[in-house]
Amino acid sequence: MLVDAFLELLNLWVLIAALVGIVSGIIIGAIPGLGPTMAIALLIPVTFSMQPIPAIILLLGVYQGAIFGGSISAVLLNVPGTPSSAATAIDGFAMARRGEGGRALRFALYASVVGNIFSCLVLMALAEPLARFALDFGPAEMAMLMLFALLVIVLFGGGSKLDALIMVLVGACAGIVGLDPISGTPRFTFGSFAFENGFQLIPVLIGLFAMSEVLLQAFDRETLVGDVEVPPLKSSVVRFVELWRMRMTLFLSSLIGTFVGILPGIGSTVPAFMSYSLARSRSADPDAFGRGAPEGVAAPEAANNAVTGGALVPTLALGIPGDAVTAVILGAFMLHGLAPGPFLFRDHGLEVYAIFEALLLSSIPTVILGLLFFRVAIHVTRIQPRHLLPAITILAIFGAFSVNNSLFDVWVMLGAGVLGFLSRRANFPLPPLLIGLILGAPFEQSLRQALLTSGGGYGIFVGSPITIGLVALTVLSLAISLFFSLRKPRI
Amino acid sequence: MSTNGHGSGVARPGFRTLTAGLLLAAAAWGLYSLDSQIQVFGFGASGPDARSFPRLALWLLAAVVALRLVLSLRAEDFPLGNPVRLGRVLTVTASSAAALWAMPQVGFFFGAAGAGIVVALMLGERRPLLLVLPLIVAVVVTFGGRHGLSIPLP
Repeated sequence: MLVDAFLELLNLWVLIAALVGIVSGIIIGAIPGLGPTMAIALLIPVTFSMQPIPAIILLLGVYQGAIFGGSISAVLLNVPGTPSSAATAIDGFAMARRGEGGRALRFALYASVVGNIFSCLVLMALAEPLARFALDFGPAEMAMLMLFALLVIVLFGGGSKLDALIMVLVGACAGIVGLDPISGTPRFTFGSFAFENGFQLIPVLIGLFAMSEVLLQAFDRETLVGDVEVPPLKSSVVRFVELWRMRMTLFLSSLIGTFVGILPGIGSTVPAFMSYSLARSRSADPDAFGRGAPEGVAAPEAANNAVTGGALVPTLALGIPGDAVTAVILGAFMLHGLAPGPFLFRDHGLEVYAIFEALLLSSIPTVILGLLFFRVAIHVTRIQPRHLLPAITILAIFGAFSVNNSLFDVWVMLGAGVLGFLSRRANFPLPPLLIGLILGAPFEQSLRQALLTSGGGYGIFVGSPITIGLVALTVLSLAISLFFSLRKPRI
Repeated sequence: MSTNGHGSGVARPGFRTLTAGLLLAAAAWGLYSLDSQIQVFGFGASGPDARSFPRLALWLLAAVVALRLVLSLRAEDFPLGNPVRLGRVLTVTASSAAALWAMPQVGFFFGAAGAGIVVALMLGERRPLLLVLPLIVAVVVTFGGRHGLSIPLP
C-alpha cells in the first residue's frame, strides 16, 4: 500500500500542486488577518477540476505554508498572522529586535518541519487502526462518540463554556435545515427546493472566515500592520547541533501539539502556549524566555504545526473535525469524493496514504521555499486591507457559487458572513459553530437510528462495551471540567 | 473594547446583547413555526420523529441564549460604536446583497466587480486608479472561472 501510494505521487501535477500550495500559503499566511482557514476555503473552488490527490495536496501545502507565513509577521513585526503564532512572537520579535530575525525564522521553520513530520507519523500510525475499530460502530456508538466530541469542544475549547455551547447549538440548528435524514420530510425549507439540500459546508466556511473578515475590516478600518519598522535581516545560519540541543523541547512540543490536536475543538493556540510554558519551565535559563530565546520560538512552532496531523486523525478516521482548519480540509475531502469516516481507508486507502506521504515529504519543499520566500513575504505584510479585501469579496462570491453553480449558496455565504461578523465582534467562538454544523445532522441521524433499532429504549446507549466506554469518557470529561472550574480562583 | 454598566447599573447593550438577542429571536421563531415547517407522517414507529431533534435543539438554544442575556445584563459588552462604522458594514452587506440580486440580469462580472468597488470605497480607497483593482480581479475570476474551470457563471 505504502509503495503504491508513493508511486501515485510520481506525477508532475502533484509536484506542481505542492509547490504552488506552499508558496501561496507562505504569502497568504504572512498577511495578518488572512489565516490558513480562509486561504484554504477560498482556494477549494480552484481545485474542482483537479484530481483528488493533487487537489488535497495543494490545499495541505497552502496550510503548511500559511502556518510558516504566519510566523513571519509574528517574528519580524510582532503581528501574529494567525492566533497560534502569538506565542512565537514573544521571543521571535525579541530576537528580531537584536538583529536575529533571520535566525528566529529559521528556528521557526525547522521546528515547524519537526512538528509536521512527527504528527504525520502519528497520523499514519493511528488513523487507519482507529478507522478500522470504528467500522464496528453502530448508530448508538456513533451517537455517543459525536456527543462526546461536541461536549469536549464546549468544555475544553477555551473561553466561555456557555458561549461555546451557544455556538454548537447554532451550528446544530443550522444543520436541521433541509430534508430529514430518516423520513426525508422537508424541514424549514419554506417550500423552496434550494433549501432542501441544507446549508452546504463550503459556502458557510467562506462566509464565516472570509466575508466576515471583510465586514470586520469595514467596521474597524484598521491598518493591519501600519508603519512598524522591519528590523534588519542579517545573514544567519542555524546549525544542526543547535537543533539537536533542543531535541527534547521539539519532541515534547510536537507530542503536545499532536495529542491536543486529536481532541476536537481546542485548536493550535492552546498547545502553542502550553509548549512555550513547558519549554520555559524545563530550561536551564528560564529568564532568557521573553528576551529572545531560540527555544521560545521553536517550541510553539513545533506544537502548532503538529496540531493538524493530530487533528486529522479523528477527522479522517471518524469524520469528526478537530478544529476550523480540519473542518475546511474535511469539506475539501468530501468535495473530491473522499468522504471522511470509517470507510475512507477501506474505499480510498491508496489516495489517503498518498496524501499522508505527500504531507510528510512536503517538509522538504517547505524548508527550501520557506528560506527562499521569507524575504519576499515581508513585503506582502504591507498590503493594505482596502487593496486586498475587495478581491477577497469577489473570490468569496465566486467560491460560494462554484460549489453547486447556485446563487442560493452565495446568499448562504453572505448570511454566514453577517453571522460571523456579529459573532466575532461579540467574542462568540466560530469553531464550535462549524463543528456543530458538521456533526449536528449525523448526530441526529445516529441517535434516531439507534432509538428506532431499540424500539425507543434508551438502554441501547449503555448496551455495549464501546458505548459504556464513551459514556464513561463523557462523564469523566464533565468531572474534569467541573474540577478545574471549582479550583479556578474567583476574583 | 468593552463597556460596562457604570457602577451597579445595567450594562449598555453592545454586540454581545445584539447577537444573543437575534439568536433568541431566531430560536423563538423556529419553535413557533416548528409544526408548520416540519410535517410529520406517522407510520407507527416508536421513538423520535422529524420534529423531536429540532424541538430539543431549539429549546436548548433558546434557554442558553436567554441565560447569556441575563448574565450579560451586568457584565461588560462590546460597544456598537459610532453609527458610521455600523453604516459601513450595512453598506457592504446591502451592496453585496444587491449584487447577488442583480446577478442573474447583469451577470457575474458586473455584480462581483460592483460589490468589490463598494468594499474598496467603504475601506477608505479614494484613488480612482486603485478602484480599477476590483475590476481587474473580477475580469480574471470571470475569465478563469468560465474558461479555466468551466463554471457556468451567471
